[in-house]
Amino acid sequence: MQQAANAVTPLQALLGDYPGHAGHDELLDADRQPRAHWQGLLDDIAALGADTLVARSEEAQNLLHENGVTFNPYEDDPGQLRSWQLDCVPWVISTEEWELLEAGLKQRSRLLEHLLDDLYGARRVIQEGLLPAELIFTHPGFLFSAADDPPQVDRPLLIFHGTDVIRDEQGGWQVVGDWTQSPAGVGYALENRITLARALPSIYRDAPIKRLAGFLQAQHRCLASLAKTQREQPNIVLLSPGPGSPGYFEHAWLANYMNFSLVEGDDLVVRDGQVSMRTLGGLTQVDVILRQINDPWCDPLELRPDSLLGVPGLMQAARCGNVHIANALGAGILEHPGLAAFLPDLCRALLGEELLLPCRETLWCGSADALARVESELDAWILRDVSRPGKVYRADQMGLDSLRDLRASLQHHPYLFTAQRQIAGSVTPGFNTQTRKLERQTTTLRFFSLVEPDDLLKPVVERNYRVMPGGLAWLGEAGAPLMKSRLVKDVWVLAPVPQPHISLLRQALGPIVVTRDGKDLPCRVAESLFWLGRYGERLDSRGRLLRESLARLLQDDRQESGSTLLPDLLRALEIPLDPEDLKVADVAGVPGRVSREYLVTRDRLLQMFADDLPDGLPALFGHFVRNSRAVRDHLGDDTWRAINSLRQQFNSISRTRGVVVGQRHLEAMVLDLAAFFGLCNETMPHHYGWRFLDIGRFIERTLGSLELLKLALLTAEEPGIPLWEVVLATTDNLTVYRRRYRSQLHPLAILDLLLFDETNPRSIGYMLKRLGQQIAKLPSPGSSPYRNTEQRLVIQATSTLHLVDIAVLADIEGSETAREALAQLLDQLIEPMSELSNAISHSHFSHVEAPRQLVSMHYSGQN
Amino acid sequence: MKYQLRHTTHYEYSGSVTLSHNEARILPRSLPWQDCNNTRLVISPTPDRLRERTDFFGNRVVYFSIESLHDSLDVTVSSDIVTRPRLASDFFSSIAWESAVGELQQDPRMTNRDCLEARLYVLSSPFIHQQGWLADYALDCFTPGRNLVDAVLQLNSKIFNEFIYDPEFTTVATPLADVLSSKRGVCQDFAHLIIGCLRSLGLAARYISGYMETSPPPGEVKLLGADATHAWAAVFIPGWGWLEIDPTNGCVPDERYIVLGWGRDFADVTPLKGVMTGGGDHVLSVAVDVIPLREEASLL
Repeated sequence: MQQAANAVTPLQALLGDYPGHAGHDELLDADRQPRAHWQGLLDDIAALGADTLVARSEEAQNLLHENGVTFNPYEDDPGQLRSWQLDCVPWVISTEEWELLEAGLKQRSRLLEHLLDDLYGARRVIQEGLLPAELIFTHPGFLFSAADDPPQVDRPLLIFHGTDVIRDEQGGWQVVGDWTQSPAGVGYALENRITLARALPSIYRDAPIKRLAGFLQAQHRCLASLAKTQREQPNIVLLSPGPGSPGYFEHAWLANYMNFSLVEGDDLVVRDGQVSMRTLGGLTQVDVILRQINDPWCDPLELRPDSLLGVPGLMQAARCGNVHIANALGAGILEHPGLAAFLPDLCRALLGEELLLPCRETLWCGSADALARVESELDAWILRDVSRPGKVYRADQMGLDSLRDLRASLQHHPYLFTAQRQIAGSVTPGFNTQTRKLERQTTTLRFFSLVEPDDLLKPVVERNYRVMPGGLAWLGEAGAPLMKSRLVKDVWVLAPVPQPHISLLRQALGPIVVTRDGKDLPCRVAESLFWLGRYGERLDSRGRLLRESLARLLQDDRQESGSTLLPDLLRALEIPLDPEDLKVADVAGVPGRVSREYLVTRDRLLQMFADDLPDGLPALFGHFVRNSRAVRDHLGDDTWRAINSLRQQFNSISRTRGVVVGQRHLEAMVLDLAAFFGLCNETMPHHYGWRFLDIGRFIERTLGSLELLKLALLTAEEPGIPLWEVVLATTDNLTVYRRRYRSQLHPLAILDLLLFDETNPRSIGYMLKRLGQQIAKLPSPGSSPYRNTEQRLVIQATSTLHLVDIAVLADIEGSETAREALAQLLDQLIEPMSELSNAISHSHFSHVEAPRQLVSMHYSGQN
Repeated sequence: MKYQLRHTTHYEYSGSVTLSHNEARILPRSLPWQDCNNTRLVISPTPDRLRERTDFFGNRVVYFSIESLHDSLDVTVSSDIVTRPRLASDFFSSIAWESAVGELQQDPRMTNRDCLEARLYVLSSPFIHQQGWLADYALDCFTPGRNLVDAVLQLNSKIFNEFIYDPEFTTVATPLADVLSSKRGVCQDFAHLIIGCLRSLGLAARYISGYMETSPPPGEVKLLGADATHAWAAVFIPGWGWLEIDPTNGCVPDERYIVLGWGRDFADVTPLKGVMTGGGDHVLSVAVDVIPLREEASLL
């Protein structure tokens, strides 16, 4: 580092005006020299240089984006799409510091487990006055029904625990929050690590970082050993609120990584005291539930009656020990912010130890002293009301009226309020790709602990925890919520020596022989895959037709020909158009060749891009995406990339104003859809899930093609070669036709190609054959020796097609008899195919009716 | 007193129910002044699964599921009940109501266990929220320095006198504001109301579900099934215990009252609740008999 006095080293250039922070700095010591544990990383970063860092950051961003790493709730809304930003500079913790922090985190998990055990058991802490009743019983996370008889099987309640931590201005650690129901972020932490290791291999390969993969393996072991029966392969499911929830990406990610079935409340049912999953093969027993649903919503029988996410009877099944839920229902009480004020005393009373990790300064307003103090210096505190989870009051940012209301509430129900001291955090460097320099950032960190798998069956006093050596850091005011942040960081815990690199970080952890996607495929997943196929295909055929129509529009405009196909094409697209609209004379003032007809038709066609049209492309895509997200764990990474690419298209598609731009969008969309279906065929195991996708797709395509043929050959206003050409182009068969028939378009040849030729994937004959094969391989619920409805419908259509006397159809243009025969044929094909969709749905999908309450009780929301 | 208790709940569904999970809090609990003998629970169709447990409040809860197709549900409990005079009959306490409030707000480390346990019942609950206007309604009974028991009994009479018993008016969850403004309701509403008033003043009060022996009009024979479930309240008197009050009848419950269980409000002691799949609309009928047994009759 010895350089000539006036030369700027690469490191100094990167640092720019980073130095100079008065409080604790993670990177620099009091003499503005880099701390020892940063040195290696700093050297690497300086060696890469700003240009490379910018490029690598972009690379990381692309990887994240392609993998669809998101955590925002309204992802389906194209305007809201947002992945997070990942900083290429990690948060670094030295080995020595980690040892202290780790000990504190372990103790905290142990303490909370003891507390939980007591709160739902003897409640000694309340009877002895250690915790006020008002603190516990006003929190919606205290479940009275979890406090009934002691459970029949003793298992840890707090399996998995997330702790939010900051480093303060003085360099001390402070805990700012606990996540005890279903701590989010482990999946993100691993995904960040994987992404950065790919983007910055030179830095990650040799750095002495503690590896994360072992932690999830331990979690898997832990969950598997929870099962009472100790079955060889316990059935573990991850219960998610569904694709609408903010954490859904991570739910799918974890389910995939850990090889659990991703289920929603509707997929589960309690029968005979057991929890079972509705699958294609019937009910399959569930042993362990890793739940991602908050306490009050888990069981509409014993908890909130208005919950549609939960499973009726779940608590009773858990109470009898027939299913284990991680974390146990009721653990949400530990998320009470006010507990922080009591933890030092509780730690002494419950563990006989001093609390190692201090909490952020907290006052519970239920005690008179605390209330007086908070009221006298309201601006210094952040207030939380337990009856309004998530709501934060900051007096310094409130108007006079709301401040008066707040003071009144504090007087009336002081025990509902917890005051947390506003804190300033330490700073750590982050790389800004705009300024190309390191900048000071304040962050909050989340760490994860897990009960030691080997201690699972031991009594509570002997249970220990382990902590994942790494975590998640996010940018923002110290203690700000993760979900509101836009920039996250990897957390490095340094090991004394380089760690062996575990290259197969994303290898599944489950046992090797598992029959996922077999008969144990949840019915809901089969249904979503089916509709994914149908909507994808509908989007494709609509898109192609629209593309041809736009091309035709441009052509017509140039030719100014009298006749036009457009009314027929609009009909095919199901766009209503009043012919009167078109007959009005040219609009005065509009330059010559642009006719009103052109303008009206163009507007109608471009409307297909509008967000608000029920059958428009964005609406169809919305259905497509919703179904794809519901089966996120069944689609490969590349497949997901194709969906993300589509999503980007649709971000701007509703603003399409010009015909040419519209055509370009459609070209891209058709290619992405082809990539999507191609990848599904290439990467999905050809098991039931894939078959349902394929069946959905080909039912849709059969129906679409039949309707199109009917239009082109029978009902069109302007039948003839131009229209037939469009039909062939829409089905991408124009080239095939030319090569094969080497002639002008002729209806009979078109029928041959699109109806009868079983070697042409676009022909009805081929599609029926494919549907027949797929349906024959679906599991049949009964063991009847007879063909089921679905098979009979396909046979009916196939026979109709096979028995056609082609000679009768020979002269469609000239003979009314031939036209009638064709009309009859097409209708005889359309009818069984329309029924097929319902028949499949009836035989295989679950049709879960929403459970209803015997007595409807709506709690009044007054307060 | 000795009673033969019989309580039948019958649901008739318009469509078939394929699966139902239920919770019943209809088994009477034993108390120092109440014995429950030969308690039987008969459910039709026969549940596939049935488990009894004791809940947070000490009530008996029965979970049962019916897992095959059914069009009706019939739950009948019967029990031979013996009741004795409650302690309250010769009761005296001179504590002022503000002192009671003060005791309930003491530092938890400085106070006794009964008081600590009662503090749960000062707080708002699913159906009953502390409100300034509820306290206002009760304030003419709770004048400064007044004896707690006197004030409570006056409030009990006040509700009895000012409100009209009207089964047509209310549903399971009529908001207290509506009950107060219309001055109408049923026993459950009046129990919620008095609890709401007491809690809004800072006192501890709980909800009791049970039955009460009714007498036929003079000269008439008591009809079968004519009794009903009943609900009343209890208020915590520091240093003494829980004093029961019945604002529907303006009296203090005696041996004619049979206790099923208690909780913070109706939600904690709903006699029968369930979540079912299918079923369509349903028709509910309830029949309750509280038949007094004379000594010689019970010997037969």
